[in-house]
Amino acid sequence: MGSEPAAFLSALRLSDSFLPVGGYTASYGLEQYLNEGRLEDGEELRELLAAYLRRLVGPAETVALANANRASAAGDLEGILAVDERLHALTMPREFRESATKAGAKLCELFLEDGELDAAGVAFARRVADGETPGGYPVAFGVVARRQGVEPLEAALAHAHGFVTGLLGAAQRLGRFGHTEIQAILEALQPTIVAVCERHVDAEPAAMASFAPLAEIMGMRHERGERRLFVS
Amino acid sequence: MGYRDVAKIGVGGPVGSGKTALVEHLVPRLVDDGYEVGVIANDIMTQEDADVFRESFADVVPPELIEGVETGACPHTGIREDPSMNLAAVDEFTERHPGLDVVVIESGGDNLAATFNPELADYFLFVISVAEGEDIPRKRGPGVVQADLLVINKVDLAPYVDADLEVIEADTAAVREGAPFAFTDCKAGEGIDAVAERIEREVLFA
Ligand SMILES: Nc1nc2c(ncn2[C@@H]2O[C@H](COP(=O)(O)OP(=O)(O)O)[C@@H](O)[C@H]2O)c(=O)[nH]1
Ligand SMILES: [Mg+2]
Repeated sequence: MGSEPAAFLSALRLSDSFLPVGGYTASYGLEQYLNEGRLEDGEELRELLAAYLRRLVGPAETVALANANRASAAGDLEGILAVDERLHALTMPREFRESATKAGAKLCELFLEDGELDAAGVAFARRVADGETPGGYPVAFGVVARRQGVEPLEAALAHAHGFVTGLLGAAQRLGRFGHTEIQAILEALQPTIVAVCERHVDAEPAAMASFAPLAEIMGMRHERGERRLFVS
Repeated sequence: MGYRDVAKIGVGGPVGSGKTALVEHLVPRLVDDGYEVGVIANDIMTQEDADVFRESFADVVPPELIEGVETGACPHTGIREDPSMNLAAVDEFTERHPGLDVVVIESGGDNLAATFNPELADYFLFVISVAEGEDIPRKRGPGVVQADLLVINKVDLAPYVDADLEVIEADTAAVREGAPFAFTDCKAGEGIDAVAERIEREVLFA
């Protein structure tokens, strides 16, 4: 850690909901948990988010992101594509894939237009635009972060933080959670964010996995949810 | 071919002001005049809204050119700070219909401050209704002030809600500072011609 100031600012930018990639439309099943009355209070929300971190964000997304980041640093387009393919294949609910690929495509588009990608990044972004590779958000995030000088662990932390604040924001807009309560949950989740990112950041692509069956079922039921304010 | 190659018309305004009613008049007219039109609805019941449009436009717009876009309970974000999901939906339209001329995007109902991002809408209409109160224009909401065309709908209801159309007109002229506005009754279909003609002149001929 201890990154360059510009890289630090880039990490902040990438983890901020101000980044226009549609993150505020994704709830990754959370809307359905609330639709079905499965979240009673802040404690249950915190537990649920900790489970997302341990079973999905860590072992799947962090592994994808970190490996995309390293492959990008090595100019290894094939490496990026392989990670992208694997992450997409293990993301079960259709809407999770949809949220992830739409945001990934927008992130690539944004940085491609700004001329802010290196050769491997440009090649990856073009393939995403042409529909030749899924372009999952964590993979695009890893590639873009690399170009901005953000190292794998910092990129993983920025992404996990963005994921958690995104879902907390969704919970706040859908349920009845106070702003101080939401901040307390975020604070309580910090050690989990750190532990999960540190644990998975150096894993090989082949280690990529996820196990979140109830979240996946919620994600699938959401397709026919009676209330849908979110894409996923 | 992508979202930059097609004209996009935004329709914003508070909940219930008549955005959907206006779109239901405008779209068949644009189709009649020879344009290929797509429609996007942003709202609470997104897919339901899209289905309402699919039904009312059954003979004029193919179902795949009608889409509901979820905005995560943030309708203003969807049309202003981060229109990326709406633009992605427009991209899907143009991919399948390269000859598409125009997409009408109805925002989920919002407050008077909601405006359209210029990269999302080349032209934006803001619809208010006289039934929301005579003083709406006077509040100088950014939507009311900045819209390319302000539509003041439900003029038929003015007598029932003690709204004086002359006061509304004078206030509106003052806050719009020469920018256009139009009165409509979308229930009876009155005033629609003027709105449609202006859109065609300013957006589609340009
Ligand atoms: N009396 C009257 N009712 C209208 C008019 N325009 C729309 N409505 C009704 O107002 C309600 C809300 O209209 P809608 O178009 O759904 O509003 P939106 O939320 O802005 O899309 C519906 O019941 C419409 O039938 C109008 O000009 N006059
Ligand atoms: Mg409507």
